[in-house]
Amino acid sequence: MEHLIQTIGRNMFAIFGVMALAGAVLMIASRSAVHSVLGFLFAMLSIAGCFLSLEAEFLGMAQILVYAGGIVVLFLFVVMLVEMSKKREGEVFQLQSRYAVLTVAVGAAAFLAVFRKTIFGAASPEALVLRPDLAKGLDVAHQNAQAVSRGLFADYLLPFEILSVILLVALVGAVVLAKTERV
Amino acid sequence: MVSLNAVLLISFLLFSIGIAGVLIRRNALIILMCVELMLNAANLNFIAFARHNGSVAGQAFALLVMGFAAAEVAVGLALVVALYRKRDTVQVDDINLLKG
Repeated sequence: MEHLIQTIGRNMFAIFGVMALAGAVLMIASRSAVHSVLGFLFAMLSIAGCFLSLEAEFLGMAQILVYAGGIVVLFLFVVMLVEMSKKREGEVFQLQSRYAVLTVAVGAAAFLAVFRKTIFGAASPEALVLRPDLAKGLDVAHQNAQAVSRGLFADYLLPFEILSVILLVALVGAVVLAKTERV
Repeated sequence: MVSLNAVLLISFLLFSIGIAGVLIRRNALIILMCVELMLNAANLNFIAFARHNGSVAGQAFALLVMGFAAAEVAVGLALVVALYRKRDTVQVDDINLLKG
């Protein structure tokens, strides 16, 4: 029992990764849009688990808050608004889907050919080792939120500010796009 | 310790599933979700490389990407709603206004 628990703890990333893949497959394969959203939610929560097992605790929590708390709910609202009132569509996949599958296969083969050495090869890097000395006095593994905030507000302040402007533009744009003609 | 290769493999597979979904699904909502999935696969790579380097830049940029994804979803869903009001459908095969 102890041994089993330790094995699970060591392979936490692989377990969450496989769960994310399962959620993603459910998302693109299910006929009903609500089931797709549920698969999306499952995949996002599993990816949050992957983040946590990669010792990015702040990002894992942010992932759960942003995706499970915001984006999935938004998707569900739009699905309820758009899909429920229509009759179920007979055809799920696109007309050119055979060519699309071919394109995906060729693209995946190209990716694999390029990254084969990185992913499978003997020249792959050894297991990850944290080097806290590079984080200017912060232990990235144990002070994750502090380290991320230092990166965000000291080193990368300009992208952060640009992101805030982009969010404002997206907010105004979404309101303009979604409002009815007569207000 | 998670090896970098495992992270890269999972992220590659997630990205491939996202591309497959964008290419083969007809529902605009599911296409948006697949784009989100691809952004998340990129985030996974960012975090894996940040951890590999021991630097925090990758995590900061992953947070920025998350913000971009939220903005993109807001605009995309507004477009879907506007499209549904105008054309009464969210199936991308039925949207051929620009087809000559």
